[in-house]
Amino acid sequence: MARRTNEWILPFLFTGGLILARYLFPSKMTFITEVALYSLYVMGNNILFGYLGYVSFGQPVYLSMGAYSAAIYLAYLGRSPLTAILVAILMGILVGVLMGPVLIRLRGSYFTLVNAAFCAIGLFTVERLLIGITRGNDGLWFRTRMVATPLLDIRQPRNFFFFAMFMLLVVFLLYRRMDRSVLGAAFKATQGNERRMQFMGYDTFKIRWLGFVLATILSTLSGSLYAINFGFVNPNLGENSRAAEVIVATLLGGSGTVYGPFFGAITFLGIKEIVSQWITRWELLVGVLTILVLFKFNRGVWGTFMDLLKRSRKTVVLQNKTL
Amino acid sequence: MNGYESMEQGNTPILRIQNLYSGYGNLKVLFDISMDVYPGEVVCLVGRNGAGKTTLFRTLAGFLKPFSGEILFKQRNLVGEFPFEIALYGLKYVHQDKQVFSDLTVKENLELASYATKDYDWDRVFAYLPKLKVLLQRKAGLLSGGEKQMLLIAMALLGKPSLVLMDEPTEGLAPHLIQDLTQVFKEIRKETTLCIVEQNLPMVTQIADKVYSMKEGKIVAETTNPEEIRALVFEKYL
Amino acid sequence: MSVWLSAIVYGLSTSAILFLVSIALSVGYGLMRIVNLEAMLYYSLGAYLTYTLVSATGSMWLGALSGVLVGAALGFLVETQLLRRVYGKNMLFSMVTTFSVYLIGIGLIQYVWGLNPKPVASPTDTMLRFLGVAIPLYRVMIIGIAGITYIGFQLFLNRTIVGKAIRAGIENRDHVQALGINIYRIFTLTFVLASGLAGLGGALNAPLIMVGPYMGNDMLLYAFTTVILGGLGSLKGTFVSALILGQVISIGGTIWSPLSFVGPFFVMFTVLIFKPNGLFGVKGIAFGFDQ
Repeated sequence: MARRTNEWILPFLFTGGLILARYLFPSKMTFITEVALYSLYVMGNNILFGYLGYVSFGQPVYLSMGAYSAAIYLAYLGRSPLTAILVAILMGILVGVLMGPVLIRLRGSYFTLVNAAFCAIGLFTVERLLIGITRGNDGLWFRTRMVATPLLDIRQPRNFFFFAMFMLLVVFLLYRRMDRSVLGAAFKATQGNERRMQFMGYDTFKIRWLGFVLATILSTLSGSLYAINFGFVNPNLGENSRAAEVIVATLLGGSGTVYGPFFGAITFLGIKEIVSQWITRWELLVGVLTILVLFKFNRGVWGTFMDLLKRSRKTVVLQNKTL
Repeated sequence: MNGYESMEQGNTPILRIQNLYSGYGNLKVLFDISMDVYPGEVVCLVGRNGAGKTTLFRTLAGFLKPFSGEILFKQRNLVGEFPFEIALYGLKYVHQDKQVFSDLTVKENLELASYATKDYDWDRVFAYLPKLKVLLQRKAGLLSGGEKQMLLIAMALLGKPSLVLMDEPTEGLAPHLIQDLTQVFKEIRKETTLCIVEQNLPMVTQIADKVYSMKEGKIVAETTNPEEIRALVFEKYL
Repeated sequence: MSVWLSAIVYGLSTSAILFLVSIALSVGYGLMRIVNLEAMLYYSLGAYLTYTLVSATGSMWLGALSGVLVGAALGFLVETQLLRRVYGKNMLFSMVTTFSVYLIGIGLIQYVWGLNPKPVASPTDTMLRFLGVAIPLYRVMIIGIAGITYIGFQLFLNRTIVGKAIRAGIENRDHVQALGINIYRIFTLTFVLASGLAGLGGALNAPLIMVGPYMGNDMLLYAFTTVILGGLGSLKGTFVSALILGQVISIGGTIWSPLSFVGPFFVMFTVLIFKPNGLFGVKGIAFGFDQ
């Protein structure tokens, strides 16, 4: 089919689109950078939610973990931002591998709640328990400790932008790979009919575990990038109340799709950007938006787009047949 | 909720199903089902597992909305009505799962049935199912399979329904209990019309006035002739 | 010794509030398979209304009454307008929908009352002397109210026909309908009752904590923990679990401060390992998407 073979171009197209937008609207560079970083985070949640069917009300804790691992590394241990990112990824792997088996065993709302509890514990930890290291609500500053990275000094926002685009592209390609491979199919099949998967000989526990690990890695990666971009971290990233936001973004874009998270990030952050200039009552909007999306547009931006495409293609095929 | 229609009044069917299509979401299960049940009849539905018998009952009872078609019960169209309304019109449905309210006593189970239908004439029901009288204080979850079935039938009978749909009542019961049940049905039929999904062929031949045979969501045979019933029931399964 | 006695009383009053608020979640899920997170809104509103009424009339009990009524009224609205549409759908719907309602509610609260925390004076500062320890009368009153509520609810569920219908509905909604009982009216009634109680919990808690727009967030976690620990759909479970967690929070907090926060979660995790359905989980209800 014509569309399939050209589809590999989409990651480049979308990343290119962001780069173009940055030059068309130079004042929005920070915003566009955040779109890329947030997309990674939403892609992580998408694996849990769209592919595996888990609802987590605690995703901010993983974001925060990634941010704080990078921050603590840069504040006390090393100076290279790239290493810090690696540290965050390793943290993601560690947490995913260790906590995964405990968490994925829980079904439905248990999983949701325990993640929420985990998020609360995480928040408590960085805010109060480890305040000696994390500096609690004052935030942990490390911008001045970072050294320049080879090739491109990502300490500069302009350069960091390109780095973020690069990361987005790489993750896009890998994500796409995942979706089109047996793994992606396995995720969805396990969500749909786990018994049958087991019957066919798949270890569905390991499949879900792997999905959890991947989701965690994406979240911690995103968190570390946030940290480096700001040059500091504070507990706000990991707040419980932010848990709903990532779910909304996932739904908005279209869960279970490769590009859904990207569009969800754009749409969500875009609306937030526009609306926060008028109203400060942020929660109200998230609430209304979520209800709207759930009831009216539950395929999301990208999902609806793909549906329309499918439908228009079908009519074309039919027309050909009648001719 | 008058349920005492007699066989003599059998010219208009108490239940008329016309061109019913039903299913779950995108899954079509029933195709063009048309059936008539006359007052006082005992109609049996036979067919393999998966033929759609339970889906049909669930649609009749209002738990499933059909895609198209008509369900006329005492000249009233049931499509779109809530299950509790349908039950109050006089159509009771006894589920296949044999579940009673296990946390409540037998007495409390019956009280619930009475509460809805305002029928507190338990003696009438005990006349058919005397064993329940001694079990009143027992927690329903502790009853045996046969006793639970009896309780479910008792609960269905309260309210003097005109039609009772029973989904595989003998499933999982020991032969002597099946005999007891058959006897109970023979008694009950005098005051209410019965429509029973059954896999137990001897029982079907004993009590059925009419048999519909279902296969893959369609009705493939219908007969009221006793000889044919015997033949049909055995033939379809061998 | 006095420290421990104080802690126990403190724990009991915490249990009381937990219990009142958690009933909404327990019953919502047990009967209707709805995860009604917006109960936290009734809780918050109960507290805020109490603040307003105490400021205006000085009567805390008026505040409590309004908390109950508004909670019940809102619960009625939410159930009939919104939740009716998500019955039978994936649990995610109810979870996210009710959470959205909660978020909208927070927004409105901020709009009406602003962001600053509001202090609420307790209706009585009398201290009782018990075993040589000073115990706040107000806390004892809260414990009493919760106790009466529990007994009342138990009587309702066990002695009245409607209560029995609710218990039957928790086991099997379809069967209850098949008997001719209008299950939707029962849903609404139950929901209204539970929502009112959540409002009461908020009202009673107002003098004890800071009334702020985000007060529902912490309570959400605790209430959820209480319900899961106790087992869904079980009134007794919620009661016992609230008792336990109240003590964990207070006595645990006395031993080591962070315990007051994380203690309940650890207890929940531990119990879940051995009893995945909670302490008194009602048969047939698993708290998962896939059943």
